[in-house]
Amino acid sequence: MAGTASPRSDPQRERRAALARFLTAASGAETVEISGLVPLRGGAIQENWAVDACFSGGSLAGDQALVLRTAAPTGVPASLDPLQEFAVLKAAFAAGVTVPEPLFASGDPAIFGKPFFIMRRIDGIAAAHRITRDAALEPALPAIAERLGRELARIHRIRPPRSDLAFLPAYEEVGPTLQIAGFRAYLDHHPTPRPVLEWGIRWLETHTPSPSDPVLCHHDFRTGNYMLDGTTLTGILDWEFAGWGDPHEDIGWFCCKGWRFARLDREAGGISGRAPFYRGYESEAGRAIDPSRVFFWELLASVRWAIIALQQSDRYMIAGERNLDLALTGRRATECELEILMLLDPAGVPPDA
Amino acid sequence: MRDLPTGSTLLALARDVLLGDLMPLLPEEARLDARLVANSMAIAEREAEAADGLRKAIARELEKLYRWTGEGEEPENLLRCFARDLRVDRFKGSEPQERKAREILWQLTISKLRQANPRFLAANGFR
Repeated sequence: MAGTASPRSDPQRERRAALARFLTAASGAETVEISGLVPLRGGAIQENWAVDACFSGGSLAGDQALVLRTAAPTGVPASLDPLQEFAVLKAAFAAGVTVPEPLFASGDPAIFGKPFFIMRRIDGIAAAHRITRDAALEPALPAIAERLGRELARIHRIRPPRSDLAFLPAYEEVGPTLQIAGFRAYLDHHPTPRPVLEWGIRWLETHTPSPSDPVLCHHDFRTGNYMLDGTTLTGILDWEFAGWGDPHEDIGWFCCKGWRFARLDREAGGISGRAPFYRGYESEAGRAIDPSRVFFWELLASVRWAIIALQQSDRYMIAGERNLDLALTGRRATECELEILMLLDPAGVPPDA
Repeated sequence: MRDLPTGSTLLALARDVLLGDLMPLLPEEARLDARLVANSMAIAEREAEAADGLRKAIARELEKLYRWTGEGEEPENLLRCFARDLRVDRFKGSEPQERKAREILWQLTISKLRQANPRFLAANGFR
């Protein structure tokens, strides 16, 4: 009879039960009771679920606030799968980077329908517009920028070869030359010509710096991807783009205008000038940042941001994912194009503009 | 011949109703989506007003650029041709052509942002 399905046929209940069984086995608990399983907003490429669970015994005995992370219905091709992201997160946690502690992972589709991992849930906010606008945070922002610089330098201490990260493509396969080729390959199939991107990409091609010793790059290290609880940094989030790269790549990404949100004038992630961020990085890394390399990577960041923005709208335009936010993101490519022009042709601003 | 009010006027009115009348009635969790809807309507309104003026203006400038090279490309292919030529530094050898190409890039970008995100333009010091 309609509306009276038995509990055994309730997919949500079955998923909860399967997850509880998984957590029981993974933690060595006697039982695990899940009291909450709620999707979290945000995460265009990955899905996050808040999991509230009570563990009887085992390594997590007691009440635990957790997050289950898995892939969204359509993602960006360059992103890591959840099991790979879990391995990167474990490496970062072990290197002393402030991240949500990674706990368990599973590729068994019988549990949650697709591969996933579990990490601790951390307190705070990541909302970039709030962080860059909140007057109460203002006095603490330079110190937060310095701390973020130190965190980034810790990430960059992770270097190849690493057997636990063997799935990451070699730097030679993901360096700037290959990225440029990837941008062009994408544009070749994009329905609308993007002359500014082509012009910026050509500049990148003719100004590519010499290769550097690769480090683990977060590849999306920016305001919006770290969590603040008050003025305390509680975690660096969203590792799905991590890979080997030039350390200046993450610095350029953090500083690029596309990630300054409400404060375009504050060049370090919209939260401070570059000086505190650079100071924190250099003191932890023990080496100086090369501004000319940052310039290259910052320009590449604007190109990359533009391509990602177009890919996000493709998820609506091509893959049919009904999401207004994604559909609108494509328009942001033109913001990146303005930045490319401002960086490469600062004297060319039209007099009437 | 279309009836009045125009499509862009209707969009402006609908957006006003959404933000002024409906938004206060919406639960907090629905307001972000409502703001995205309002933002989409604003873009659609500005683009409807500009109609294909931008496309024509850019096509005129590209025709000037390519007339100098004697290419005589079809107007609808000009933007694609322009992008392809920028990829290979086609205008690098001629200072007037390079300057003109950059002027077109600025004009294209500023005009698109006037429709898609005028606030971003203003925040970057543009009118």
